[in-house]
Amino acid sequence: MRSILGIAAVEVRLFLRDRSNIFFVFIFPLLLILLLGSQFGANSGQSRVALSGGADTELAKALSEQLAEDGVQVSAAGAATVRDQLSRGRTDVGIFISDGDAADFAAGRPADLEVVTASQSAAQAVLQEVRASIQAVSTERRQQSLLESAGVGTAEAAAALAQARETVEQPRVELVDTGDVSREFQGLGRFDLGAAQQLLLFVFLSSLTGAATLIKSRRLGVVARVMAAPVASWQALAGQALGRFGIAAVQGGYIMAGTALLFGVDWGNPLPAGLVLVVFCAVSAAAAMVIGSVMDNDAAAAGVGVGAGLVLAGLGGSMVPPEFFSETLQAVSRLTPHRWAYDAFADIQRHNGSLADILPQLGVLAAMALGLLALGSYLLQRSLGRAL
Amino acid sequence: MTADVQTQKAQVLGVKGLVKRYGGRTVVDDVSFHIQAGETYGLLGPNGAGKTTIISMVAGLIPAESGAIELAGSAMTPANTRAKGNIGLVPQELAIYPDLTATENLLFFGRLQGLRGQGLKDRIAEVLNLIGLADRAGEQTKKFSGGMKRRLNIGIGLLHRPTLLILDEPTVGVDPQSRNSILESVEGLATEGMAVLYTTHYMEEAERLCDRIAIIDEGRIQAEGTRGQLVELTGGADRIDLHGSGNTSAAAAALRLLPGVQQVDGGASGLILTVHNGPGLLAPIVAAAGRAGMTLTSVEIVRPDLESVFLHLTGRALRD
Repeated sequence: MRSILGIAAVEVRLFLRDRSNIFFVFIFPLLLILLLGSQFGANSGQSRVALSGGADTELAKALSEQLAEDGVQVSAAGAATVRDQLSRGRTDVGIFISDGDAADFAAGRPADLEVVTASQSAAQAVLQEVRASIQAVSTERRQQSLLESAGVGTAEAAAALAQARETVEQPRVELVDTGDVSREFQGLGRFDLGAAQQLLLFVFLSSLTGAATLIKSRRLGVVARVMAAPVASWQALAGQALGRFGIAAVQGGYIMAGTALLFGVDWGNPLPAGLVLVVFCAVSAAAAMVIGSVMDNDAAAAGVGVGAGLVLAGLGGSMVPPEFFSETLQAVSRLTPHRWAYDAFADIQRHNGSLADILPQLGVLAAMALGLLALGSYLLQRSLGRAL
Repeated sequence: MTADVQTQKAQVLGVKGLVKRYGGRTVVDDVSFHIQAGETYGLLGPNGAGKTTIISMVAGLIPAESGAIELAGSAMTPANTRAKGNIGLVPQELAIYPDLTATENLLFFGRLQGLRGQGLKDRIAEVLNLIGLADRAGEQTKKFSGGMKRRLNIGIGLLHRPTLLILDEPTVGVDPQSRNSILESVEGLATEGMAVLYTTHYMEEAERLCDRIAIIDEGRIQAEGTRGQLVELTGGADRIDLHGSGNTSAAAAALRLLPGVQQVDGGASGLILTVHNGPGLLAPIVAAAGRAGMTLTSVEIVRPDLESVFLHLTGRALRD
C-alpha cells in the first residue's frame, strides 16, 4: 500500500509543481465562474435597488417603503456610489431623485425620475418590478391629491386611503414560469450553475493534460525503474491510477471549496455532491490513464487532452446547459460522463436530491470509471512492455 | 591462491541457458554466466548485441523465453518482487524525475525499496556524499549537468545496498571527467563486497573495471574469462591498423600471403591485420600494401587487447 501511495503522491506533486498549473488549475477556473455567473447567472436572491438623492423627502420615503413592501432590497447612497454599484453588478437598478423631482412629487405634480439598469440580464426583470412600485406610489399620490382637492384634510385623506387598502383586496399579479427550461433553473444562485459546469470541465481537462506526466515517466525510464524495485506490477499500475485520481480530486475539491467560500455557491447536500465529484474524478483519472498509455509524446498528449476535454465538456453540457440541447444532442450528450455528473449535480443543487435520487447517475459514472480503468491498465501494461 | 579465494566466495547470480525472442528473432541465445560476491562482471559487445535484454531479464523486468536465473538463492522472475529487492538497477536512460530534487528522487526510490525514517535519511546523505552531490541535494535535477544526472542515476541504484548492482552503459553521453568519476565510484563498489554486472561497448571500461568479461555478439556469449584469458584466445597476436585509401582489396589479398600475417579484415578506413610480432613485420607490410596500390596515411601497432579479441572472434571491430 505504501508503494501505491508513494507513486501516487509523486504524480500529484509533479502536477502541483508545474508552474503553468498555477494559472490554469487555480486561477482560471474561478475567474471563468465569476465571469459566467456575473453575466449569465440566475439572480441569486432579492432584487436590488439603490436610491440616490432626495434624502428625507416624501418621494424617497414613499418609494423606499413601496419597494420594500414589494420585496425589493433597497439601499441608499450617493450618485457616484450607485453608478459604481451598477457598473460592477452589485445592484440591479439605480433610481436617481433630484431636488426638482422631490418638489414636484410633494406638490402633486408629475415627476420624471432617472432610472438606470445594470448590465446583467436579471436587471431587466428588476426594472419591471421598480416600474410597478413607482406606479403604485404614483397612484396613491394621485388619490391623495384628488381627496385633498375635494376638501378632505391631508390626515383624513391618508387615513382613508390606508383603511381602503386594508379593506379592499388589491389585484395581485403573480408571474409563474411555465416553460420546462425556465422552471429547471429556478432556485439556482447566480454562480451555482456555472460552478458545476466549470468543475466538470476543469476536472476532466486537468486530468487529461496531466496524462503528460505519465508519458514522461515512461519515456524517462522511471516507470521501468519502479518495476525493477520490489513492487508488483499491479501496485505500480494502482499507484499511477491513484495519482491521476489525486490530480482530479485536487482540481475538483479546489473548485468546490473555492466557489462555496468565495461565491457562496450552494452545492446542496455535501454527501451526494461529494460522491458525484469522487466518481467523476475516477472517470477522469481512468481516461487520463488511457491517453497516457496510448500516446508516447507528452506534448501531443497535452494537445489531445485539451481537445478531447473541451469537446466532451461541450457535448456534456459544461458550456451550454444541456436543457437547451436538441433531442439528438441530448442523446449524444449522454455518452459523456460530464452529462451524467451534470444531471446528478442538478438534482442535488436544484431539487435537494438525496443519494437515492442520484444513484442512476452514480451507477453510470462508476461503470464508465471501471471500464476506462480496465482499458487504461491494460494499455499501460502494454506500453510498459514496449518501454522495457 | 587468488583462485582459491574466489571459489570460496558466494555466488550471487547464476544465469543458465537464457533465451529471448522477439517476433521470431532470437535476441538472446543460450546465455549462461555467474557472478560472485565482490566480483565485477562485464558484458562487452556492440550496440544491439543483446546486453540490455539480458539485464532486463536478470532484473525481472521481462520474462525469459527459457532458461533460469538464480539470484541470491531464489529464482528471479518478473513476479518475484522479493528477489527484486536484491537488485540495484541503473538503467541506460536517466531514470530520474527532472522536476524533483536529488533528495526527493532518492527518497522516492528509497521508499519503494522499503527504506524508511531516519535510516533512509542517513543512507541518502551517505549516497549523496558518495556520488559528490551533497551540495546540490536540494536542487531540481533538471538543472544538473549530464554527468551529475548520471551520478544520481547510479546513486539511486546503490541506495538500498543491493546484493547485485546492474549498470547498463552508465557512461553513455558523459564528458571524460564525469566518466572517470563514475568509473572510480564503480571500482569502489566491488571492494565493499557488492557484485556488479556492468554492460558496456567501451573496451577500456571493461578492461579497467571487470574481473571477468563476457564478449557478446548477436545475442550469444562468444567468449568469457579474465582479460588475460581472453587475450590468450588471439594467440598473443598484435593488431596492425592500416589507414589509407586506394586499392584496399588488392592490398588485403597481398598481405594475406605474407608470412606471419594471421588475419586481414576490412576496417572503417582501411585494413586491420592480426599478426605475430607486429613491430618486426611492419616494414614488409607497408611495402606490400604500397605495391598493391594502397596509399597509407597512418599505421598503428596495437598490442593484444579486448578489441583484438572481439575482432578475432567475430571478424568485426567492436565499434563497427
